[in-house]
Amino acid sequence: MQSQQGNKFTIPIGPQHPALKEPEHFEFNVDGELVTGASVRLGYVHRGIEKGTENRSFVQSMYLLERVCGICSHVHATAFCLGVERLAEIEAPPRAQAIRVLVAELERIHSHMLWLGVGAHEAGFDTLFMYSWRDRETVLNLLEDITGNRINYSTNVLGGVKCDIDREQAAAIRQGLDFLEERTTHYLDVVTSDMMFLRRTRGVGVMTYDESQRLGAVGPTARASGVARDLRVDAAYAAYDKYPVNLVTETAGDLEARFVVRIKELFESFRVIRAVLDDLPEGDLTTRMPRRVKEGDTISRVEAPRGELFYYIKSNGTDTAERVKVRTPTLPNMASVLTLAVGHQLADMPMILVGIDPCFSCNDRMVSVKGTLDSQCWTWEQLRQYGIEYYR
Amino acid sequence: MSAETALQTASELLEQWAKEATTPEPFRLDVVIEPDDLLAAVKALRDASWGYLSTITGVDLGVEAGEFELLYHFSNGAALATLRVRTPRDNPSVPSVCGIIPTATLYEREIIEMFGISVEGTPNTDRLFLPDDWPDGVYPLRKDYIYDDPTAQA
Repeated sequence: MQSQQGNKFTIPIGPQHPALKEPEHFEFNVDGELVTGASVRLGYVHRGIEKGTENRSFVQSMYLLERVCGICSHVHATAFCLGVERLAEIEAPPRAQAIRVLVAELERIHSHMLWLGVGAHEAGFDTLFMYSWRDRETVLNLLEDITGNRINYSTNVLGGVKCDIDREQAAAIRQGLDFLEERTTHYLDVVTSDMMFLRRTRGVGVMTYDESQRLGAVGPTARASGVARDLRVDAAYAAYDKYPVNLVTETAGDLEARFVVRIKELFESFRVIRAVLDDLPEGDLTTRMPRRVKEGDTISRVEAPRGELFYYIKSNGTDTAERVKVRTPTLPNMASVLTLAVGHQLADMPMILVGIDPCFSCNDRMVSVKGTLDSQCWTWEQLRQYGIEYYR
Repeated sequence: MSAETALQTASELLEQWAKEATTPEPFRLDVVIEPDDLLAAVKALRDASWGYLSTITGVDLGVEAGEFELLYHFSNGAALATLRVRTPRDNPSVPSVCGIIPTATLYEREIIEMFGISVEGTPNTDRLFLPDDWPDGVYPLRKDYIYDDPTAQA
């Protein structure tokens, strides 16, 4: 990832919307059209969330951590809850664990469909972008129906979940899935047969199996290179042991394979959600959670839509965490993709960046609130008051 | 390879440098090593293709303890091996693992700017997350850094 000697030009891309509609800054050294080196500057949306957890209780931290990412908010809360529950030596009831899986898979559908649209857009295939985002509304509506929110569903609480699935909701989910399955079949056909699209994806940004292993790629990016790495399978958490997921891998390692892996994962998600609905355990949604959590540390890993999400939680015996470390899947994938960039055409960079489904907010973790106050920094009390006024 | 055998292998690989080895949770192996042995231990895991470096966690053990702890988390399926290295607060320094694992550069840049730990031999020490106008010598994830809220009412 270091710039090499003898490069001709340095081309800055970003921080305004380098590929996705999020800020990040890349520098590519080019020799003619060929990239000879790449570096990255993150932090444009850094929010100091890890520091923020140091003076918040576990309950407050959970809501904060859920806002690390606007797309995969549920997995963040799940990783944190599972870790804290393990430290507190309690376990959420089976029904709660099943609902965690259900929402996680609905979230994966919404995330993958969002990415499909963004990927198509970067390739100049805006029709696919608009169709996939239109269809994505189906799953967002389902999530809103279950949890009350399209994103940041806030399903988890420490010790369980707070929303239940009734029979009508289950029927609505099945109906939505039938529609999405039909559409997804069509998309799989499109991304593997449209000649214009294939010119942008086939053989582009190839990461071999060995490179993927060596660079520590995670999630669909790794699976597109044939690396069988999926925490839902390797280290089943929540209720994934009860509703097993079949690993989806491809061997080509190019952009096309990354499209195919994600689309095929959608079918797995549909199947798992149906399995959960078919066999949803009866019982409580929550179990009692002690306020203070025993001293110790734990590593909690879950499979986010983009790959391994890593939480290290250290407790000091109080109601506040000593240290919470978050490593989102974009970071290792970013490192691998920057290494791979060397030798590619500059024009392929946006597609290659998008290929890992980067989530910059996940990487950075920061917030800036704009509102009636002059300052961009609000106190906790001001924020609370704003919330009360807003929902009055 | 099952998680048990993976952990067994890791335990054998790291045995010669381990000052202390514990299993705080199922499928986890924590090995305390000296900073001087870090590169040898990481290389042993890498040469055996044992998993991949998930991340590096920095922990400030507090002003009284006078030490930072760095945790190098290696993941291999369900198995997790963590190398724990301590370095004194008054002169915190660890060797860079980028020579063995090039992608560690992003994790090391984070450690440098958040904790002020110098990572010897790391290829890039530029800011990664903090703003350009962030003051030098201020490390936000140290325990003695208190966030000074500019809007706080006196």
